[in-house]
Amino acid sequence: MDLRNSLDKAPVGVIGAGSFGTAVANLLAENSRVILYSNRSEAVDKMKAERSNIGQQLHENIIPTNNIQDITDNCYLIFPALSSDKFRTTIQGFAPHLKPDHIIIHCTKGFDIHKEDGTSLVDKDLKISLSDVKTMSQVILEETCVKRVGCMSGPNLAREIANLQPAATVIASKFDEVIREGESAIRSKRLQVYGNNDIYSVELAGVLKNSMALAAGALGGLGFGQNAMAFLITRGIGEIIRLATAMGGNKNAFLGLAGIGDLVATCTSPLSRNYTVGARLAKGETIEHIIATSSEVAEGIKTVNISKKISESKNIRTPIIDNIYKVIYEDLSVEKALQYLMEYRWGQDADYV
Amino acid sequence: MIYKPVIDRIEDWPINKISLQKDRILQETISEAILQLKKDYPNDQKIREQVQKTLYLERIRIKTEPWEVDPEDEAEFWNGIKKKVLHSVTNETQDSELVAKRNNETLEAIVSRYAHEMMGNFSPKLFWFARQLLRRIFARLFNAHFSSFKELFRPQDALKDKLIVSGAVEKIRALATKGTVVLVPTHFSNLDSAMIGFAMDYIGMPAFQYGAGLNLFNSKFFALFMGNLGAYKLDRRKKNPIYLETLKQFSKTNVMAGAHTIFFPGGTRSRNGAIETNLKLGLLGTVIDAQREHYENNPVDLAPKIYVVPLVLSYNFVLEASSLVSDYLRRTGKENYLVKEPAQVPFKAIWNFLWETFSKSSDVHVSLGEPMDVFGNNIDDDGNSLDHNNNILEIDKYFYTNGIFKRDNQREMIYTQFLGERIIDSFHKNNVVKTAHVVPFVAFELLKKKIGTNDIYTILRLPEEDREIDWEDFKMNMKLILDELYHLNNKGKLKLSQNLITKELDEVIELGIQNISIYHTNLPLLKNKKGNITSEDLQLLYYYHNRMEGYGLEKFIR
Repeated sequence: MDLRNSLDKAPVGVIGAGSFGTAVANLLAENSRVILYSNRSEAVDKMKAERSNIGQQLHENIIPTNNIQDITDNCYLIFPALSSDKFRTTIQGFAPHLKPDHIIIHCTKGFDIHKEDGTSLVDKDLKISLSDVKTMSQVILEETCVKRVGCMSGPNLAREIANLQPAATVIASKFDEVIREGESAIRSKRLQVYGNNDIYSVELAGVLKNSMALAAGALGGLGFGQNAMAFLITRGIGEIIRLATAMGGNKNAFLGLAGIGDLVATCTSPLSRNYTVGARLAKGETIEHIIATSSEVAEGIKTVNISKKISESKNIRTPIIDNIYKVIYEDLSVEKALQYLMEYRWGQDADYV
Repeated sequence: MIYKPVIDRIEDWPINKISLQKDRILQETISEAILQLKKDYPNDQKIREQVQKTLYLERIRIKTEPWEVDPEDEAEFWNGIKKKVLHSVTNETQDSELVAKRNNETLEAIVSRYAHEMMGNFSPKLFWFARQLLRRIFARLFNAHFSSFKELFRPQDALKDKLIVSGAVEKIRALATKGTVVLVPTHFSNLDSAMIGFAMDYIGMPAFQYGAGLNLFNSKFFALFMGNLGAYKLDRRKKNPIYLETLKQFSKTNVMAGAHTIFFPGGTRSRNGAIETNLKLGLLGTVIDAQREHYENNPVDLAPKIYVVPLVLSYNFVLEASSLVSDYLRRTGKENYLVKEPAQVPFKAIWNFLWETFSKSSDVHVSLGEPMDVFGNNIDDDGNSLDHNNNILEIDKYFYTNGIFKRDNQREMIYTQFLGERIIDSFHKNNVVKTAHVVPFVAFELLKKKIGTNDIYTILRLPEEDREIDWEDFKMNMKLILDELYHLNNKGKLKLSQNLITKELDEVIELGIQNISIYHTNLPLLKNKKGNITSEDLQLLYYYHNRMEGYGLEKFIR
């Protein structure tokens, strides 16, 4: 495939043909040709034959491929949309083909933690220090020659985007150029785009909110209404900000789309994977059963574990995270956890601003 | 090991060739600086404001901080500028073109004066002479320690135990003829440039250009040597934007001309004794700027390449430790406190330092980091940039967007940040930890623990009777920290000096105490009559302790 040298502008690459990757590819395809990479050749064949993927129609501008170099040789701008546990290995596979003029904007809301002793991130005995915790942009910088890195984050539920509903997103990068390029590639009538130079904080916001989505699912599962949800969201953002500040983030990003925006979307939508896990926990299913019957481990289960370990080591007050942790890892019932939170002395309102 | 010179004849060294093109360098510096200033201050009004500000600051400097080295016509020159500024202000309403022309002339006069002041010289003959002289001085210093009569006549042999150069020596030698080498060292002492210069000569590198504080030129002796050994002059009294831009363009022009250069990326000497974690990105950014211009001006395969080599100096003790740390403590919390450079560095102090360093059982470690390109990528032996899989990279493509070569200042600013992070990382990894770093670290941390505070001012005010640390307690903690240091060494996070690896614990402690105490009148550490550890100078102890910051060692103290 040689598409870069034709008269049209270079196509944009998407790595990962999951539900979000496919949604992003469809958004990008409204502005240019898109090469969509999947590591499963049968999935690629199916996409080519049926022009659809995971229930989403593929835009006519999308070219599915199983060949890494189709992406790296033809695209300057690449959007990886991978789950955090596959992120590093997939990027390692791309690394030998990436060049200094590539721009990578990832869409992954998760941490990468490499444990030499092989401890799993959903292991209760996980021991981590802050230096073990990497965001996806840090992984790209560590593994590849690419310097111009960005992330896309915000209230962007894949299914709503797939249904052509309007949304807004944040493209964050230290480089103005990356924000410009990302925006011009993905902006459309149904997607508003905002820029932010504080990529680290935007990434933290996207990940740390996962715990709250689990808690929201649990509240939903117990059948509670909007008062309880509003309580969770506002106190939740406070916990997230405290945690993120201790990790070196800046609270401003959390007051925007990638922070409060994403939190509201994931906490109020039964569509997200994290929310579903919370709801199933509330219905009395065990976490082992939930993990065993899910196709992918919800990011929230890992995020809760990591957040808890960080809040412990940094001595930060995070009652909501502590209680979700107990529900997942210490068999506390959701009802008991909620009861504890209702009896907890919170003190001042809005103490995180 | 004795290294052969990479380039035999001093006359063929890049620094000498550049010295012969002085006029061109000056012209380019001046025109580039003016171009850049006009970009930063894009109209007449703004340029005039800068000129007026500069004039104001310079007149204050002439009154309050005159130095011997200042030219005699200093006041006259600035009076002339004043007249021109006044003239252009009073005639503002008249011919605007004429006013703009006058403004330009004034700016050019200032930039040109600054550029001429910076320019140094290189004299191959004087270099040869200085090298012979220094070698003999060292030979004299080592006299007390000569192991054989032969060494008296071969000072290099004796030097190798005292001045230990380690790291990527061969690679850097290879790069000297492939491109421009920019050394970026940690900065602890005024002697750093000389020490690095000597170390580079020792490994056979052609001479480096470096900026030396103009205050050093107050001494005629230093002026004669440094002025002819490739030093250009930096005046830290001048902090106005016109001066700083001229300086940036001057160093960039020299790097572009191929001068191997020493840049201290921390800007000034480390005040608190810690390895730099904040770099001055303005000057560092010029290497990226220069590399881009090389690609703009040349076909890709012929474009000269710039290599950045981090370097860590490890002394047992620092000549100016005392004044640096009190300066630091005074300054903490007062952002705008200006540190004045001393007008003279007493020759005697330097001689004492050299004497103490080299005549007693002490050494200086020069640890070279892996060379990198201006984007922080690794380099192979042939000077090619490599990615993480050791594939060769076309680094000119970092300046491309969508297949088009583009200048983008914001992009280059972030590249500079990344380069800075890589340099700091290299500093930590190549820091050679000596007994004289670990021992004060453990002592100060134990005092913090004992008093139960992290507030250093509380510790610094401790009365003598509260400074005592139990010997057994000290030893146990030394053991804990050393274990962690071995661990970090195995993981490549730092390096250990030979003494730390081979000597027994008791001896390590003795050596540490002895080595930092050689030079100072009030001893930062000593053993008292009871055999416990104590300190006569907590500020110094704090200074030496800081060297081990940034490795997370604190948590291992019990």
